[in-house]
Amino acid sequence: MFFVAVASGIRDRWVPERRGGGIGVVRGGWAGQSPRVSADHTLPSEIPASATTCRVADLLLDIGTSMLISGAHSGRVHRNIDRVAAAWGFQADLFITFTGMMVSVRNLQRDEQPVARFRKVPIHGVHFGIITAISLLTWKVAEETLDVATVEREMERIRKIPHHPRWAILLGIGAACGCLCLLLGGDWKNGVVAFVAALTGMFVRQEVMRLKYNPMIGFIAASFTTSVIAGMDVLHHFGASPEKTLASSVLYLVPGVPLINCAIDLIEGHIPTGIARGVFGGFVLLCIAVGMTLSILLLGIHNF
Amino acid sequence: MELLLPFLRDIALAFVVAVGFAILFQTPRRVLWVAGVLGGLGHCLRFAMVSQGFGPIPSTLAAAVAIGLAGIFASHRVHTPPVVFTMPACITMIPGLFAYRAMLGCIRITDLEMAKQDPHLVAQTAHYFVLTASLLFTLAIGICSGALLFRKRSTKSLFRRIF
Repeated sequence: MFFVAVASGIRDRWVPERRGGGIGVVRGGWAGQSPRVSADHTLPSEIPASATTCRVADLLLDIGTSMLISGAHSGRVHRNIDRVAAAWGFQADLFITFTGMMVSVRNLQRDEQPVARFRKVPIHGVHFGIITAISLLTWKVAEETLDVATVEREMERIRKIPHHPRWAILLGIGAACGCLCLLLGGDWKNGVVAFVAALTGMFVRQEVMRLKYNPMIGFIAASFTTSVIAGMDVLHHFGASPEKTLASSVLYLVPGVPLINCAIDLIEGHIPTGIARGVFGGFVLLCIAVGMTLSILLLGIHNF
Repeated sequence: MELLLPFLRDIALAFVVAVGFAILFQTPRRVLWVAGVLGGLGHCLRFAMVSQGFGPIPSTLAAAVAIGLAGIFASHRVHTPPVVFTMPACITMIPGLFAYRAMLGCIRITDLEMAKQDPHLVAQTAHYFVLTASLLFTLAIGICSGALLFRKRSTKSLFRRIF
C-alpha cells in the first residue's frame, strides 16, 4: 500500500512538470512554460534571455557530442566546454556516459532556471581533425569572445571536415603494417606480404562498414581476411620469419584510441566512461582474435 | 656510419608507421610529419635502450614518456592538441608480436593434448599476456604523462605561465 501511495505521489508531482517542459527541455528552459513560474506575469521579457540559455546548451551539446564521436576522452570534452561556457558567462555541468551526454547550463549573470539537455553519442570513431578544429575554435571563443551565431556556423563547417581520401588510408595502413613487420625483425618479403594483407583487410573492413553491418562483424571479417593472406606466408614460406608477418599485419585493427582513452579517463577520475571504453576496446581485441583464430584453424593449427 | 645505420633504418621505418596510423586517425595533413618525427625518434630511443640490455618494459616506458613530453612542446609550436600526434607515435611501439603469441597460446590451450605435450605452454601464454597488457598500459602512461606532470592544466595555459 505504502509503495503504491509513494509511487502515485511521485507521478502526481511529476505530471504537470512534464507537460510544462518542451521537447528536449528536461527542467526549466522556457521560463513561461514552467508551472512554478507561470504565475509570474513578467514573463515575456524573460523569454529571450532563457532562449539564449537553450541555444548555448544546444551548442555546447553539439560541441561535446562531436568530440566524443571523434574519439576525445572525457577530460578533454570537459575542458573545451568549460572554456566556451566561461567565456560567455555560463556555468556548464556535464554528465558523460559512453552512449550519450547531458549538459546542464546555468546563466551566471541572471537568476534563471538552468537548462538541461541530453543527446546520444551513436558511434565511437576516430577523427583527430575534428578534435583539432574544435580545440582551436574554443580557444578562439575564450580569447576573442566570438558570439553564439559565429560559433554555430563554425561548428556546421567543422562537422563537414572531410576524411582523408580512401586510397591514402589504404596505402598508409599497408605501408605502416609492412614497416611494423620489418621493425619486428621480418625480412622484406615478410613486409610485402604484411603490406598486401593489411591493405586487403582494411578494404574488406571499409566495405563491410559501407554496407552498415555491425562494426564488430567488420573487425572479425577484416582480421580473418588479413590473417588468411598472411597465413599464406606461413604455408609457403615466402620470407624467413612468417610469424612476424602474421603478428604485424593485423595491428591496424587494434583499438588504440579507446584503450588509451580508457587509461586516461581512469587516471583523471572519469571511472564510468573509462570502464566502458576499456570494455569496448577489449571486446574489439577479442573480435580480432576470433577472426585470426578462425583463419588459423582453417589453415591448420599445426602449421603455426 | 656503420654503427648509425641500424638506428637510421629504425627511424625511417617508425616514421612510416606513425604517418600511416596518423592517416587512419584522420590527423590533419599539416601535422602528419610531426607524428612521423615523434614516432621515429621515440622508437629509436626504445631500440637504443633495448640494444643496451634494458628490458622491454623500461625501454617502452622511457620512449613513451619522451614522446609524451616532446608532444607537448610540438603542440605549442603547431597549435594542435598533443594527442593528435602522440597517439600515432606511440602506436609504433604496440606489442604486436607478444599479443600474437599470447593469442596463439590461448588457441593451443583449448586442445588438451597439445597443452600436455608442452609443459611450458600455460606459463608462456600467461607471460606473453601479462607482458602485452603491461606494455599497452605503459604506452597509455606515456601519452598522458604531460597531463599527469602538469596537473591537468591545458598545454596552452602551461606555456603562458612559463613564458
